[in-house]
Formats: sequence, C-alpha cells, structure tokens
Amino acid sequence: MSIPYFAEEIPGKRVIMLGNEAIARGILEAGVVIGAGYPGTPSSEILDTLAKMKPYYPHLNIEWSINEKVGFEVAYGGSISNARSVAVMKHVGLNVASDAFMTACYAGARGGMVVVSADDPNCFSSQNEQDNRYFGLHALIPVFEPSTVQEAKDLIKYAFEFSEEHHTIVLFRTTTRLNHGRGDVILGEIQNIDRPYGFDWDRARWVCLPSHSRVLRTKLLERFEKISNLADEFPFNSLKLSSEKINGIRYGFIAAGIPYAQLIDTLIDFGLENKVSILKLGMVYPPPKKLIRKLLSSVDKILVVEELEPILENILKQLTYENKLVNEVEIHGKDYFPQQGEFSGEIYLEKVASFIGIEYKKNVIPDIKISLPPRLPVLCPGCSHRSTFYAITLLEKELKLKFINSSDIGCYTLAVYKPLECVDTEICMGGSIGLANGFAKIHSTENPILAILGDSTFFHSGIPALINAVYNQNNLLVVILDNRSTSMTGFQDNPGTGIKITKEPGTRVVIEELVRGCGVPPENIWVEDSYNLNKMVEKLREALKAQGVRVFISRHLCSLLEEKEFRSKQIQIPVVKVDPSKCKGCLICVNQFGCPALSFNKEEKKAIINQEICRGCKVCISVCQYDAIYEEIN
Amino acid sequence: MVIQINKGPDNWTIEKKRFSVLNVGVGGQGIIRTTQILAWAALMDGYQVRTAETHGMAQRGGSVSAYIRFGPEVASPLIPKGQVDIILAFEISEALRVFNFSGPNTYFFVNNKIIIPPMVNQMGFKYPSNEILCQQLKNLHYNTYFFDADKLALKAGTSKALNIVMLGIILGSDKLPIKEDSLKHSILRFIPKKSQEVNRIAFQLGIEKGKSIRRDLL
Repeated sequence: MSIPYFAEEIPGKRVIMLGNEAIARGILEAGVVIGAGYPGTPSSEILDTLAKMKPYYPHLNIEWSINEKVGFEVAYGGSISNARSVAVMKHVGLNVASDAFMTACYAGARGGMVVVSADDPNCFSSQNEQDNRYFGLHALIPVFEPSTVQEAKDLIKYAFEFSEEHHTIVLFRTTTRLNHGRGDVILGEIQNIDRPYGFDWDRARWVCLPSHSRVLRTKLLERFEKISNLADEFPFNSLKLSSEKINGIRYGFIAAGIPYAQLIDTLIDFGLENKVSILKLGMVYPPPKKLIRKLLSSVDKILVVEELEPILENILKQLTYENKLVNEVEIHGKDYFPQQGEFSGEIYLEKVASFIGIEYKKNVIPDIKISLPPRLPVLCPGCSHRSTFYAITLLEKELKLKFINSSDIGCYTLAVYKPLECVDTEICMGGSIGLANGFAKIHSTENPILAILGDSTFFHSGIPALINAVYNQNNLLVVILDNRSTSMTGFQDNPGTGIKITKEPGTRVVIEELVRGCGVPPENIWVEDSYNLNKMVEKLREALKAQGVRVFISRHLCSLLEEKEFRSKQIQIPVVKVDPSKCKGCLICVNQFGCPALSFNKEEKKAIINQEICRGCKVCISVCQYDAIYEEIN
Repeated sequence: MVIQINKGPDNWTIEKKRFSVLNVGVGGQGIIRTTQILAWAALMDGYQVRTAETHGMAQRGGSVSAYIRFGPEVASPLIPKGQVDIILAFEISEALRVFNFSGPNTYFFVNNKIIIPPMVNQMGFKYPSNEILCQQLKNLHYNTYFFDADKLALKAGTSKALNIVMLGIILGSDKLPIKEDSLKHSILRFIPKKSQEVNRIAFQLGIEKGKSIRRDLL
C-alpha cells in the first residue's frame, strides 16, 4: 500500500487536507510522541489520522483513552516525562478533562503539551455550543486558534515549541468548519526530536498539595504575565493599519479563526480590504495589548467579529478604559453579530455593510410554495438499538406502566424520535445512570427507571454511576446497548472490542464481568443478542420485574460494521420479504418498529421491504404477528 | 489572476475571483467524496481551495451538504446566499432545501430522483411528489437542469458511480472552470484499480449528458 498523502515526507508538496488531517500532520511535524483522547465530533479524525501515520512513524504512541480526563492524563504523563504530547477532544470533552487540566496548568508543561478542543458553534453534533476560549481565561494558559487549514498545521506545530519554551500547556481551539473543512496545504518538515525521555523527580512541581500549589500558583501568574507581554510579537498575530477614512470615519476590525477568513473575503467583496484596519489573532488569549492599543488609537470605530461569547469584545472594552480612550473610539460586537450559532456567509456581508454604512442588497429569494418535511438522521436499517428499544416499548404496553427512559450520548439518542420515542432525558456522557440514581429516589414502581446507554459511553463514565447505584441501593435497570463500536463518531474501537486505535490487539474488557465487579449480583445480569427479539422481551421482562440494581446487556455488532464484515468475508446477506397473501396491512412493522427498509404500499395495503437497503437482520420477522415476513432461502 | 468562465452559447466569458459550488444530497450518495475530488482537481489547476462539509450524518440518512470554493485567492469556506455558481443536487428535494443559496447567476444541476425520508408519514408529514418538486424548481429558477444520473451510473456498471456521473455532467456542461485532465486525475486518485474502468465510463457518460445540457443552457 502506498503512503497516504498526509504522511508523506516531501516538504513543500501541496496537497488537499481535511482540517483534522492538517492538525494531525502538524502534530507529526512537531515530533510529538504521545497522542491520546476520546472520540467526539468534530475532533475524531485527528487521532484516527495519527494512528494511520504510525506504520510510517513508529515513534508515535497513539491511543483512544477511556475518556477525555484519562486521555489528558496520559498525554500529561508524556509531557512530565519530557516527551511532546497532545490530548484531543471535543469541546464538552474538556469539561470531563477539566479536573486534571485546571491543576496541570499550575504545574505547566515539560515536554510540549497541547490540548486540542474542537468547539461546535451551532451544535451540529453536540449537546451544547460552549465557547472553550473561556478555559484559557479560567486556567491562565494561552489559547491558539487557526483560521485556515494551512494555519492549523503550522500553528499547532508551533504550539509545541511555544509550550516547551514557556513551560505552559497550550489550548488549541478550533471550530467545526475548520475541523471538517478542506484546504490546500504545503507540507512541512517532520522534526526529529532527539533527546532523552525520562521521569522528572521534581516533587515540588508535580505533587500538587496545598503547600506546593500556592507556590505553583505564583509561578503560573508570573508565567502568564510573561506570555501576555510576548503576545505582541506572536508570529500568528498581525495588525494591518489603514489611515483611510470612509465618510470621515476610520474603521477597524478584530477577528480570529473561521470568522477571520470569512471577514477577509467579505471585505474584498466590498472592496474595503485596504481601507480598514484589521487585527488578526492566532493567539486569541492573552490579548496583544500593544497591538490593540495601536489599533484603538488609529481608528474611530471597531467591530469585533467573534462567534459565540463576547470574549474579545469584553477584553477590548477593558483595554479601551485602561488606555483612557473611552471617548475616542467606539467598540462594537454583539450589538451587530448574534451570540448564538454559526455565522452564515451572508451575515458577514449584512453586518459589515451596516457597520460601515454602505449599501448591501440582500439576495431576494422567491417564496417556495411547498413545505418540505425535515430529513432527520435515523437509526439505520438493521440497527441493533432499534430492536432493543422496540422490546422496551412492547413491555411498556404489556405491563401498562410508563417507563422513565434516562438515556445518553450516542446513535441511540435518535430513538427520541417517532416511532420509538424511547429517550426521556439526555444531557452528557454517562449521565443516563447518574440521573437514574436520582430518579430512583423519587419515583415508585409505577414508573420503572431505565438507564440506557452504549458500550463506549458505559466505559467512558457510566461505571462510577453504576457503582453508586449498587452502593446506595438505588433501584434501577441499566440497559447497555453493546454494538461493539463507538459508531456515531466513526466506528472507533473501545475496551469492549479489545482492539486498539492502531488496529493492533489490546486486552478486551468484558462488560458483564465488569458489571459483576461493580457489585451487581449475577442473578441481576442478563445478556441477549439484540437481533433475537422474542428472547430479549422475555429477559427484559424478568429484569423489569426483579428488584435492586439490574443490568441488561443487549449485544449485536453495529449493522454498518456487520455489513462491511459480511462483504469482506463474502457472506450472503439474508433476503427478507413480505408475503402479500399473509400481510394484513396492520402497519405495526412500519409505524411502530419503523425500520427505514420497511414501507407501505397504499394501493395494495401491504408492507414492502426495500431490498436495496435491507440489512437482513430478520428482526421484523418477529415483529410481524401474522407471520407475513419471511426469510427467502434459495 | 481571475477565473474565466464560459457563459452562454456565444462563449463570452466572465471573470471571477472565486468559484463556488454547493453539493447537496442524502447521506451515502457520495457528496463528501465528490467535494474531495473537486478540491484536488482545483488544486491541480493551481487554485486555493476551501471546503466545508457535513460529517457524521453520512450513513444515517440525513441531509448532507458541502460547500467548495476555489480561485486565485480564497479565504472563506462558507458561501453567502446568492453567491453560489453551481448547485449540484444528488436528490431533488435537497435542491429545493438549499434554494435560498441561489442567485440570478446560479446553475442548478439536479439528479431527478426523490428519496423519501423514512418516518415522514409516521411523523404526520406528507412528502411532495417528484413532479411537484420539479415544477417548483423550474418555476423558481430558469437555470435548472434535470437528468437521471442514477440511470447513467447503472448503465456504466454500478450505482456507486453516481457521483462520478454528476461530476462528468457539470464538466460537460462547460460551467465548471476546471480542466478535464485535472478532474480525471483527481477522480482516479480515489478509485481503486478494479473499479477504474467502470468509473471512466461513468465519467464519459456524464460528460456526454453535460454536453447535451450545454445546448439548452441560457
């Protein structure tokens, strides 16, 4: 197999890269040794790409850790041992890692240490759109943010050098459009860090107990002040001043990241690129105070262009006050741009035009006379989760009880939609069992409490909450949807598969053994194949009727992965059909089970199976009460 | 440096700083790969390239869209509404969903196929028919061209070559300012050896179709 383009050792070569590939490339070029983290959109391809580089660069030590906190700690262990290290996660992952992160920022970095936080304005695939630049203000460390794919590669490479030189952890913040956008990139040289790695017995630095932490805090503040003073010379910050006036007013802009890229093209569209002053930041925190002072004293009005929170805007307002320029210059930001979501291309045109007072004709769009129902993502044909949720709905009807379905982060959250509607709460990774612990203290047996989560999510942060339920005797049923994959983020492996990120064998952790180890008695643990609907209903019924902490493990490989496996092993996918002479047109399979491969022929009043997308899971055979669905065997 | 685009049958040209394409369709139709192929082709032509893509929904039946912009100097990946040069729609209702991105100079290239989302009926919605959607698009925009790219892909030998047919069509239409050789090389980059012949035929069928459309273009 030929070497992938992102791993080639040809400096100067121009290639197209996905933002996340470019970040991985920058990490490789920086001579990083350890990369760890947990998959999460839009960050997942970074470690996946690094793992694909490993065959060509054996010094790379890449892993999927059990969660972001452990991932951070793994990387930090590398940094303490003088190796360049990176921890990669999505924005909410940093919440999980923040316990370790906040204190590690006191002790700082030995080997270059960068934390990649992939933020998601607009919640394209996240539960919130928090702005992780705040973690820089919170932890007193520098925050870098690239505005193009090329800059992503170059800036993260530089971040390791910067981290080492100033003994600080660097937060590398990106947003979805950078991670999941492509751009032209010129490959750089792959650095060979030739130095001994080894532990450092400096207990005063690495043991963060009160007497040490007070000293470390002083050092942190000194370090941060030094970095603040260097911000003006930071090579990825730049100030372009213009003394031109537009209608008698001098205008200035401040931006970073994707908003900077969008702003530049917007200014070009209006022919303004050389008529206004622009401060571009590659280090979004701490701010370059001298550059800002220069800008403040060179223009009359400034517009801060930043998505989400008004962080730069507030800093700017503070500096305007400190420089006694409050009466000289106007600062604008969130009075023009929204504090929510991603800025679309035309928002820039509209707001820049209204800021400068020039005409902008909005694109007039004729009315579309028909309404298009949304095309929502759904559980796939053959999805093992669908079958488990269907079993739960059957039992809800049979027992005439209303369940509280506390669910979690993963593909299975899609069961919130019709027809399954089996998700009642979802806030964060592992939160299903945690919340269920609380519900168990309030609700009676009239409302059986189910905590429903996937295999990887259970490993990530479900385990402590399960032990909590056992210890405190909170009466609940945990349903682990073990599809042997972290599917939503791109089918990453996890301890349940025992395969490492590099596809090398690791040690498999068996969920039922783990659950027993958490203190759940063996008679309260059930395991069943998700495709065996009848057996599943039987065992779930038992589990629902039992008392105490119970765990039901529904296991079947993710249907997308199984299909791939069948194809590579040339296994015939079962052919499942509807016998029209037996189908009564009751619509249960279509309207209640709801597999996308099933539909209804209105003229003939019969269900039909779309053979193009049917995965041959055969679950619908058990769903049908009239034996109208069968497997065709030839 | 600017991009020269042939516009209209008289071959008079317009000049542009950047060229913008919006690829839309349903997860699994190859929208991301199409964008990747276009990006490499534009790179070979010496342009700067920016894309923005929907990831993650690809295999779960959701709407997928991908922006691509290229030109001598491009910074921004997101295309302002009204500035799209080509909307390449793999599915007809998805073309209508992004209708508000079109402007007077936009060309719509639409695969005349409808994919009804699962669960639409169960959710109490009614999905409009293919005919109604076609009519709407035609009424709304004079530069709208329909074709059956799925049929051409099957004719070439595999339904999977749909995106290669689509690329052939916009190239053949003469509305895409990218060299045929660059696009061809870029396609081959992503196709395993054993499927190259099928895809070569698919590309050619697409180009032929595009040429026939070119005659109708305004």
